[in-house]
Amino acid sequence: MHMEPITSERVRRAVQDFWDAFTHQAKNRFQELYSPTAVCFAADGRRSEAARLMWVRREREFFGPKSSVGAKLGAVSVQILGPNLASASYGFHFSIIRILPNGSRVEVEVPFGRATQVFECEPDGRMLIIHEHLSSAEPVTAKEIREVSPARA
Amino acid sequence: MMSITPDQVRAEIRRFWQIMCGKAPDRLEDLYSPSALVLTGKARKPEEANAALLRRARQISPNSDSSADLGAVEVQIPDPGVAIASYTYKFHQTRPGERGSVEKRHTLYGRATQIFQQDARGALRIVHEHLSAATNPELERRGS
Repeated sequence: MHMEPITSERVRRAVQDFWDAFTHQAKNRFQELYSPTAVCFAADGRRSEAARLMWVRREREFFGPKSSVGAKLGAVSVQILGPNLASASYGFHFSIIRILPNGSRVEVEVPFGRATQVFECEPDGRMLIIHEHLSSAEPVTAKEIREVSPARA
Repeated sequence: MMSITPDQVRAEIRRFWQIMCGKAPDRLEDLYSPSALVLTGKARKPEEANAALLRRARQISPNSDSSADLGAVEVQIPDPGVAIASYTYKFHQTRPGERGSVEKRHTLYGRATQIFQQDARGALRIVHEHLSAATNPELERRGS
């Protein structure tokens, strides 16, 4: 099978696909962008986690009907590391409403998010994330959203 | 050229932290590819390693009591000539502060991604680095 070589353009397209899936809360499409064994550092994680664990957490926190995800990306720098391998690094502005493990909803603004994502091109042409490191250049504060109970008639 | 091994990567990472702690005479820039990109400190976007390394070199004090404790280093080798290392670290750095003072920074929840690639001679070079912390560093200041 003739494989299309990895290019900066393809990597930038893959980064765009990732954020489209994330911001549209497209759970299945989002999961398909990762190798199940990918190593991921979440922006606020104290250690890395395997993609299959990260999916479960992000699904609970970000993909429910009461969550929302918005992002604006900066310029994406691409480094081609091999015929099937490349890294993308960039800054991004992230606006989210997430559900915490205790069930409360919080609003978080990350104006200076930073990402490193390493993509591997599969024999079928799909680009998979095999490593991800997200962080923030500035401290981030979460604002709790108070649920307003409907007034009694 | 032989494939990179996890042990080679771990040895380079030890060398990196020895230099960062001021305990090795080597130069930090010798560990990097000239085209390396880094995301570190308060930088809001990737920058060329040269600029970040100049800042970093000013913060390294030889013979200081800086120390680093590394967590387990996970190494992915997706291509024989490329390795991705990920690990956590605690870094207690003594560095020159303003007006002759001394600062001690404690990074308790550091996270590192370092991508190594073999150069033409087979030596490992960092081509991409992302250092971050899950919580803000704690800072102590001592007067001059």
